[in-house]
Amino acid sequence: MDLVTVNGLSKRYGGIVALSEATFSARAGEVHALLGENGAGKSTFIQILSGAVQHDGGSILVDGQDYRPANPDAAQVRGIAAVFQELSLIPDLSVEQNIWFRHEPRTLLRTVNRAEMRRKTLALLEKYNFPVLRPDQELRRLTLAERQIVEIAKGLAKDPRILILDEATSALPAREAEWLLKLTRQLAAEGRLVIFISHRMAEVRAIADRLTIFRNGSTIAVHEANAVSDNEIVTQMIGRHLDRLYPERIATATDRIALSVKNFSSGSRLSGVDFALREGEVLGVGGLQGHGQRELFQALFGASKASGTIELWGKPVSIANPRQALIGKDGIALVPEDRRGQGLLLTKSVRENLTLSVIRRFTENGLLSRQKEAALVKEMVDFLRIKAGTPEQLAGTLSGGNQQKVIFGKMLLTQARVLLLYDPTRGVDVGTKGEIFQLMRDLAAKGYAILFHSSDMPELVHVADRVLVMRNGGVAATLEGDRISEAGILRAAMLESEAA
Amino acid sequence: MSAFLARNRLIVLAYAGMVVLLLVTALFSPGFLSVSNMRSTVVLAAFVGIVALGQTFVIIGGGIDLSVPWVLNSAAIVMALLCGGQDLPLVWVMPLLLAGGAFIGLINGVGVAQFGVPPIIMTLATNVILQGLILVLTGGSPTPSAPALIQYLSVGRIGAFPVIALIWLALTLVATLLLSKAAFGRHLYALGTSATVAEFSGVPTARTTILTYVISGLTAAFAGMLLTGYSGQAYLGMGDAYLFTSIAAVAIGGASILGGSGHYLGTVAGAMVLTILTGLLPALNLSSGALLIVYGAVILLTVSIGSETFAGLGGKMRRKES
Repeated sequence: MDLVTVNGLSKRYGGIVALSEATFSARAGEVHALLGENGAGKSTFIQILSGAVQHDGGSILVDGQDYRPANPDAAQVRGIAAVFQELSLIPDLSVEQNIWFRHEPRTLLRTVNRAEMRRKTLALLEKYNFPVLRPDQELRRLTLAERQIVEIAKGLAKDPRILILDEATSALPAREAEWLLKLTRQLAAEGRLVIFISHRMAEVRAIADRLTIFRNGSTIAVHEANAVSDNEIVTQMIGRHLDRLYPERIATATDRIALSVKNFSSGSRLSGVDFALREGEVLGVGGLQGHGQRELFQALFGASKASGTIELWGKPVSIANPRQALIGKDGIALVPEDRRGQGLLLTKSVRENLTLSVIRRFTENGLLSRQKEAALVKEMVDFLRIKAGTPEQLAGTLSGGNQQKVIFGKMLLTQARVLLLYDPTRGVDVGTKGEIFQLMRDLAAKGYAILFHSSDMPELVHVADRVLVMRNGGVAATLEGDRISEAGILRAAMLESEAA
Repeated sequence: MSAFLARNRLIVLAYAGMVVLLLVTALFSPGFLSVSNMRSTVVLAAFVGIVALGQTFVIIGGGIDLSVPWVLNSAAIVMALLCGGQDLPLVWVMPLLLAGGAFIGLINGVGVAQFGVPPIIMTLATNVILQGLILVLTGGSPTPSAPALIQYLSVGRIGAFPVIALIWLALTLVATLLLSKAAFGRHLYALGTSATVAEFSGVPTARTTILTYVISGLTAAFAGMLLTGYSGQAYLGMGDAYLFTSIAAVAIGGASILGGSGHYLGTVAGAMVLTILTGLLPALNLSSGALLIVYGAVILLTVSIGSETFAGLGGKMRRKES
């Protein structure tokens, strides 16, 4: 019998239909992937399952019993837990305090039983072979990837029968993502149901038993995973035929050096980096996570202190803060890692976000010209095909892909022609991913120089002209031409012998 | 304009509250709506409004200025001492004291923006230091009376309008231009919404922060001088009431105390609401103790209605994101 059966599920937010007559069913012991573009209704669906929001119509049966949780606690009582992509952890608490938050083991006096909490934490981490985590470490000291792993531990701590993983691998580097896939299989083997959402097709193919495809709030198809092709899936997701995800790689690099970096160091994670990025080039930055990629991007943008020399278009520059980085035609712009924390003012409009970096340009005698601003905003919204009702829509209400486009737009308006793109497709739907890659190639053809990091290795392989592989805070190898492959990147990232 | 209203529901709410309060007060105290009484209400509200102007900028930027009471008080007392009741010294005393207020703001701003001192600690410290300095300076003795020109600015009239009301109007215009029509305003809202995002977008965050405290120092010092004219004299403790009222006016006016939203036009309504309230409560024939309790409770209620509306909107937005 099915563990979960959903029929005619509907949900509206005001005038917006998020789900309409969606159906779903899944068995205990399977990994069931949920696919769809951003805005297809996946998130709403799992929010209903996990008790975060309540549905307007339709029915959900769990174990044949009616299921309508009023809140996440009620969902948990029925054995359903979710790990969301938006992290729910508290920075000031330790790893274990976060894992057991509100479910701490108690002593007879109802105080927190710390010894028991430690024991249970270690047991949990060991049972599922978690990558190294120290239970007493303060959360704020962890990287985004490590936090995501804590989030997963927190979900598992509830010993759920149904575990929902929403884009859980998107923040994880290759090795940890691999671990998570194994973990998922292990959970299924224990007789649990894992509902798995990912924008990475390879992962879905690797672990899912079955997959359900959502589009525009409805269920489009259910497939056995081994009986359907990638092409069919993508076509059903986007409702049209997508020619190809990666644009053709036409070499547009010139001999002119746009960005030259010598003996560049920052903190303890980045030491002695040298490289040159050419006009018209897309230079990939790969390697295992935590080997200095983040520090490189932030330091180049002036967001953290660094030493060494930087030349932009042949001129030595010193960049003490992002404001200096963004100045003028010879500037350097960053699409940052943390879209919501570093990139966007969520409670401000698309217009205000787009023009924030260049607002001075719209002033005449010190006063803003709304016409000039509106004209440029419209131009950028059209150019990037940002799907917003009006430019006054709040950035926080856009889908992930459109949020990312707004950040791109903000940086393109600055006229900086050296772009630093840190994992720009993370958590972005497949249609928008394709648009972003095409945009990168178009910009390169116009003479932009692009430094591009992705946590998804195939992206580096298919989009970058060359790939810098980082190891221990330095450049371990520079791959070109045929040597750019997932195996090549991994080898350079992991093996000491591979010389630069 | 309609777009402005849609985005600033809380400001509209503040004005609606003001009108309701006016009508209620008129019910209890029939003379309240008379021209002369409205005039004195506006004059009293202007002092709150001018102090709260700087406070509005600081709060939108995500900070708070607790040094306003003694910046105000210092300016009042030093002005009275330096002028000795004469008009002529005002020519240099006024600019000097405005510069002094700006300088205290500069210290606050640099402490917060460059040295990372939390705004509450930083501004509380300058407040106490100023208080100490003034006590040393005066030894507690009373000051000479206010120059006639200052008295004219705060209680005089041009035609039917109090001079100070016109000053307030002009300052409101300047504040509105800064917030809505200048690059500085955009930078300020971005800073208060998320300092990190602002920094990553190339906003001069330190400069913007410092400027808000400088403006607050300026308006507090200016209000101190005007208030001396109103009272006829400067005295110790005359600024104390303005700590609470300046922050309450901003909050009633619809700004989030966490920064990133609000507008001085809302603060103007907030200042009016607070002042009308001080007119209403005595009409209820309560003891002065009970009066304070009701005053505090009403402000708490007003602000919480505003923030609840805001929380409601925020909650809706969060859900829609998914």
